[in-house]
Amino acid sequence: MVSCLWARAQGNGEFTPAAEDSALLTGLSNSYQQQYRDESNRLPSLNKKDYQKVYADRWKSIKEVFDEQEIYTSRYAQAYLDAIVGEIVKDNPVVQHHDFHCYFSRSYIPNAAYIGEGVILFNMGLFSRLTDESQAAFVLCHEISHYLLQHQEKGIDKYVTAINSPEVQAQLRKIKGSEYRKLDQLQQLVKGLAFDSRRHSRDHESEADSMAVVLMRRTPFALSGAATTLALLDSIDKNAFDVEGCLQQTFNAGDYPFRKKWLAREDGLLGGHARLKRDEMADSLKTHPDCALRIRLIGPLVGMGAMGAGTGGSVSAGRGGRTFVVDSLKFRSLQEMFRYEVIEYAYASDEYTQSLFLSLELLHRRPEDVYGVAQVGRVLNGLYRAQKEHTLSKVADLPSPDNPANYNALLQFVQNLYLEDLASINYYFLRAYHPRLDNYTLFKKAYEESAKSVR
Amino acid sequence: MSTPNRLNRWVLPMALLLTLPMSSLLAQSKLSIDKVYSAYLRNSGSILEKGQIKGYFFLYQSDKIDRHTNEYTLQILDENLNKVQSIKFEDSKKLSLLESAYNGNSLSFLFKNEDDKTLDMKVYDFDGKLKYSYSRQFDKRTDELMKQYETLHTDEGMNKNVFDLGDNGYVSVLPMRDGKQRTYEVDYYSSETKKQWTYVPQDDEEKYAFAEYLGCTDSLIILEVMKKNHAMSGAVSSHLVGINFVTKKKQFDIDGVNEQYTLVPSGVEPMEGTGNLMIVGSFFDKSDNIMKDFSKGLAVYEMTTSGKVLTKTYNTWAGDFARYLPTNNKGKIDNVGYLYIHKVIRTPDHKLFIVGEGYKRQADAVGIGLTALSVLGGGGSAGVTKIVITDLVIMEFNDKYKVTNATIFDKTKNTALTGSASDYNSQHLIANYLKMIGAFDYDFTTGEADNSNFAVCYSDWERSSSYHGQTFNAIHYNGKKFSTDKIELKSKASFLRVFPAKSGSIMILEYFKKDKRLDFRLEKLG
Repeated sequence: MVSCLWARAQGNGEFTPAAEDSALLTGLSNSYQQQYRDESNRLPSLNKKDYQKVYADRWKSIKEVFDEQEIYTSRYAQAYLDAIVGEIVKDNPVVQHHDFHCYFSRSYIPNAAYIGEGVILFNMGLFSRLTDESQAAFVLCHEISHYLLQHQEKGIDKYVTAINSPEVQAQLRKIKGSEYRKLDQLQQLVKGLAFDSRRHSRDHESEADSMAVVLMRRTPFALSGAATTLALLDSIDKNAFDVEGCLQQTFNAGDYPFRKKWLAREDGLLGGHARLKRDEMADSLKTHPDCALRIRLIGPLVGMGAMGAGTGGSVSAGRGGRTFVVDSLKFRSLQEMFRYEVIEYAYASDEYTQSLFLSLELLHRRPEDVYGVAQVGRVLNGLYRAQKEHTLSKVADLPSPDNPANYNALLQFVQNLYLEDLASINYYFLRAYHPRLDNYTLFKKAYEESAKSVR
Repeated sequence: MSTPNRLNRWVLPMALLLTLPMSSLLAQSKLSIDKVYSAYLRNSGSILEKGQIKGYFFLYQSDKIDRHTNEYTLQILDENLNKVQSIKFEDSKKLSLLESAYNGNSLSFLFKNEDDKTLDMKVYDFDGKLKYSYSRQFDKRTDELMKQYETLHTDEGMNKNVFDLGDNGYVSVLPMRDGKQRTYEVDYYSSETKKQWTYVPQDDEEKYAFAEYLGCTDSLIILEVMKKNHAMSGAVSSHLVGINFVTKKKQFDIDGVNEQYTLVPSGVEPMEGTGNLMIVGSFFDKSDNIMKDFSKGLAVYEMTTSGKVLTKTYNTWAGDFARYLPTNNKGKIDNVGYLYIHKVIRTPDHKLFIVGEGYKRQADAVGIGLTALSVLGGGGSAGVTKIVITDLVIMEFNDKYKVTNATIFDKTKNTALTGSASDYNSQHLIANYLKMIGAFDYDFTTGEADNSNFAVCYSDWERSSSYHGQTFNAIHYNGKKFSTDKIELKSKASFLRVFPAKSGSIMILEYFKKDKRLDFRLEKLG
């Protein structure tokens, strides 16, 4: 079954992305749209327009997920995900008869989210980093809890009520009537509302953690998955991939050797790599509590006492339950497939620099990976075309102080290249694999296109 | 990991003071923030270091404090359009931000305070903390001259008055007027210690002088100064003036009195390794009037920082350039006309490139007809000629400063000047006037700090079967050869402009009038 889905399992390393089922996506989108319309008509009559505006914004975001084909429609993957969800629902009467649906998102971002209208997204970028099914189960239980506890809807209600409250309206009227220091007054008002909103958001996360543990306890999954997941999340953004080293190694062809100036950057305030001081208010405005705190809070619930307070993946598995319940082979095969699918989706959604980063990371781990080779060539061809057509800004991120340093290094590399560098780097990189990989269509196309650009 | 900085979309006016909704947080409530509060953009511009774009500033009036005072927010964007600093301060209601510069350690901003009649130079560190504030008075007459300068066209996005002096600080060169005298002053502002001084020229001739900043070294500010000497029948002389900002004294003033030719400098470049300077400009016979007569060609001088001229190399229109361009002895090129020199570029392999743009006088059929009619009617002249802007010419020189090549880059010819002004007989004055009114198509040159790669950018108009409209063009030199790039500028925006950006890139700005929306994005040149 697995080998049918993915040619890589046959040992030749040629990944072919799963075809998206457009008809299925359209059908799902239409169905959720109807659900949204019905819900919108049922909103409270008091301040109805305000509610409808927020729900319309939310629906717009949901619709994009379908329109941009972020939902992964592979039946094999969906069946596996449904099986895990089925294990959770089967033993939890509180969840049964609720109309929610879980889907894999093709996003590389290590995250999961309840996005409204009963739709839960489990990003491939997170799934592929997990250790076992108990962690996947905790992630799903956490998002299901957000859905069951109606955190989003309560948040919207709180926001609309607050804005329309006599107190806030009176303050806004007072500010409007003021000739001087309007901004100061407004900032005080907004700060109060934002603190309140963010505090509730953090409370919601802790509530969802607790309820997730309650749901998991009734399933055959190991409860320790809760703490190990939170420990994983605490360090998931840390990526030690040495981009500069990889670039120098990958693009150092004999006929077109690597040039140090391709990595040159300015470290001052204005070069895109500045280390900015964190806003004093940033901690107060965080929407999620720290993972260390979340682990401490659920420690007693999972029978770990205070021992689970450590982070960085050091949380032990604990007692009871199984780490794999559905199918460990399918779990591993999906993880493997997702490492490729996220690269493909980043490219398909015009995130070329992100796709390049992931491709290089893949090549760094597996230097002979044919998809990795072909995809690097494909992305560089895309960057070349975009730069030539003056549309690079649509497919390439720019260096920013908000980016991780290694991703910024890649972005700076792209910014430093002149058109002829881009063409030659790619051509000489791909030429090293020609004609060895010519049977792989993706490679052959990339190589032929790169050869045209150096002519 | 993904960043939203690909496209900056702000609802901002550039010159018009339209409103800027600060937040849409409460947009649909009965009374919302955008209904009770707006910020106003006062000024925006580029932040430069050694002539390179390093970032951008936006000055907003963010609040009113009392009858006389506003609160301002100075938003600083880095070279990639990321917001990296936001500085809040209170100041006079009548405040405008003239220019900004960056020296790798600090940021400087020159403000004009109309209430106090002061020019205030504020130097900030990277944390947005005010390091030093310097203030000097200006009077009405100085202000008028400054306003006049503000309307003059210089290379888009480039500073006119404020420049960085590396780690030392900043300099501003300001035009001054005192009665009939027109002169200039140079202000030095330290960014390392609280130190400021003003250089006031003392020579009699400098009572009628125009100064233009050409460049700096680690101790010198170098200016081109045009002086009018009343004792010498009002003749204008050209000077290269070096002011030592360590000793606070004028280090040299080269007027070419004892030279074979008169040099009118148009660029200066420090020469790496030797510590010397390279000066490039047009040269004239000693007896020529530099305001009226035709130059003989282009000269390159090497000189020490103490002002001693070491070498002089002359390339004449009639001799040297004629080998590569169809020129006559007045410097007029067939089908191109005379050249206005826009830019001097020295590459790491010691080649020199000079960018010029052609302009020529043509008979104006409409003008001739109108003049004939007005003469018959006893009226004045409508002008019988017109000035046409022609092609771009890039001339290449070897390490001995002798011309080795010249290439004409064709572009659509356009009429820049009609009427009686075009009949004026001084080519030099016409060229300066064309530059002043922004008639040339040359926009700017962008490239790496060492000029190993550079792109000469200009605007053009295309009428072809595939495209009809304005284009933005770049002539890219990669250290070996030239290639060309073109961007068609037709857009759904109400207006679209292209500005210089970090090396190898341009910033495209689009304003959508209906949405009151301003989009700006960086694009690399192809």
